Amino acid sequence: MAGFAGLWDYTTQVEDGRGHYSFWRKTPSQTTTSGIWFDMSMSPGNPGPQYYAASPLVAQQMKRSTDGGIFHGPNITPDTKYLKRFLVMSAAATGLPMPFILADYLLYYPFIDTGTNDQQDMDNSLTLPRYTDGNGVQMMAVSVAAGSGTSPTFTVSYTNSLGVSGRTSQPQVLNTATANGSIVTSGTGAAASAGCFIGLQDGDTGVRSVESVTFTSGTDVGLFALVLVKPLITSSLLEQTAPCEVECLPHQAQLPRIYDDAFLSLITLPRGSLSGVAFHGEIETIYN
Amino acid sequence: MPGFSSWDDFIQESTANGKNYRQDWNKNFLPTTPAVAGEWFCLARGGGNPGADALFNTGTNLTFNQVIDTTSNASSIPHGGNVAPDYKYLCNASAFSAAATTMPAVLMLVDMIGYTRVTSTTTTTAQSITNTLTTISNFTADASSDICTHSAYALLPYTKVRLTTTTTLPGGLATATDYYVIKVTDTTCQLATSYANAVAGTAINITDAGTGTHSIQTLYPRYTNGKGVKAFMWANNATPLGAGTPNLSFPSYTNETYTAARATPAVLPVGKTAAANGLILYSGTAAAGKYGPFMPFQSGDSGYGSIEQVQISSTYTSGEFSIGYCKPLITLPLTTLGVASEREFMSQIPGGLPRIYDGAALYWLIYNGAATPTNSAFFGHLDFAWG
Repeated sequence: MAGFAGLWDYTTQVEDGRGHYSFWRKTPSQTTTSGIWFDMSMSPGNPGPQYYAASPLVAQQMKRSTDGGIFHGPNITPDTKYLKRFLVMSAAATGLPMPFILADYLLYYPFIDTGTNDQQDMDNSLTLPRYTDGNGVQMMAVSVAAGSGTSPTFTVSYTNSLGVSGRTSQPQVLNTATANGSIVTSGTGAAASAGCFIGLQDGDTGVRSVESVTFTSGTDVGLFALVLVKPLITSSLLEQTAPCEVECLPHQAQLPRIYDDAFLSLITLPRGSLSGVAFHGEIETIYN
Repeated sequence: MPGFSSWDDFIQESTANGKNYRQDWNKNFLPTTPAVAGEWFCLARGGGNPGADALFNTGTNLTFNQVIDTTSNASSIPHGGNVAPDYKYLCNASAFSAAATTMPAVLMLVDMIGYTRVTSTTTTTAQSITNTLTTISNFTADASSDICTHSAYALLPYTKVRLTTTTTLPGGLATATDYYVIKVTDTTCQLATSYANAVAGTAINITDAGTGTHSIQTLYPRYTNGKGVKAFMWANNATPLGAGTPNLSFPSYTNETYTAARATPAVLPVGKTAAANGLILYSGTAAAGKYGPFMPFQSGDSGYGSIEQVQISSTYTSGEFSIGYCKPLITLPLTTLGVASEREFMSQIPGGLPRIYDGAALYWLIYNGAATPTNSAFFGHLDFAWG
């Protein structure tokens, strides 16, 4: 039986070594903006960066085997893998305290142009490689080429987790952050700004695919990738002297599942520029 | 047996059986007017994910409306849908913000079970609220056991109900009559003629099954017996209320034991002049008559079974507000900019796993310890599990 029958079963698998431990490091080169969410998957380190580079508007799956991400152990099907522990620490106080979300990056649509009011239709020849129904899957818009700060507004037409197409996101306004990896809809105090994830239509709980993006008001000169992710855990790195450790079961009463070939990375909310700041961490998974 | 019998059961349900759900949320402070330190706001009409509601300034004046998560334009925070016969719980929650001048703050998660829109804000006499009951489930009756079988998993003990039928109710029961639930299981109950009889377990003798289709009706869709149900008044849309500082009260309400003719006690809450979008009208810290976030009860009461009257002692000159009926679930203190407030409910608070009923409509209320600017963004997540 996949999963764990109880605490005794969980601890038995730990003692039997049915898990994986690895270390990771990310040192952003980008000058991030305080209060603007940032996608650390585009930052140098180990794992190396990825750049959402592929044919414009054509859906691309993200997998650890082909694209990188934090290493969480080999594929273990028919067993099921879970996140046991995750640790983050920083070598500097810059940018802290910093909330973060560990997410499984599933699929992206490259090079969405902020310079046109034409409807930009996506190619969905490829679909979600994991969480295939889209339940709990969120959208984030990640800058890959900086805009000039005109703050246009766009909406996303998508298919929700029930398979209903033609759903329309909340209108989102672009921020003025210029660093690649900035989540362009993120803002601290602007109307129609959002957090790291694009607001969905009332009642929706996830995104299965994106049909189109349309700038409804204004244009700019930048490009962004629309990335579909499944958030796993949330916590905060408070200060340089105190690593943030999440032992998922006792700390969050949850054991997030890690699918085979999951691409794991961090989305962060820095309090300043993370340029040159080294983040180190550990990941420990368990399976049964 | 629903719920979790042990840590082992919880682990098995949430891992092996996959009965878990995570919801990330982002709610922006209201777009119209900054907060004043010490005020409470309802974030239902703030932008974000979910977006702003378009519900609470709709409907007929002075008429109670139920709210469930699928109510059109409710824009409540999703929690994974219905899970009956299982019980769903909130296991873990976080919240944080990087927006300047938002700390300290307290976020309170509530399940909004209904609301009453009040547009007659220039009327200063006590105004009656229409409390129409809604069918919560059909039922069948067994004359040998006096047991009614239904599918209303949220029907709680001692709830006051009424019955309808397409033909003839079971013998011993009548329409247009108040009955009180004696809960047997999640899907079976007996009925009593009074609250006291329900508490005593004195059931009505049902003599036959009746004919046709029978229905049970309640006022609330969840927390049906009113225990722990609070109420607050808030400015429900972008147009502020007019000039005025009236006393706000419920001159007549029924409490959680269905004792009628209860009333908001002195010192009555005082509404803020030109109350802005989302403001809980009487919240604040600077004067008598300032409360937050809930309307005070008459001494000894702990819930609203129903509210019969609302009164504004002096005119607000214009605008409208709503009365929200809710069950508070959790609070998250936000102390420092950029620092997540996290709570894990399995072990941090003994016995503290808040139950999330099917249909729960989840919203955040916020206490502003600072002058929170408009559109300030708050983020977080909620983890749920069921079994």
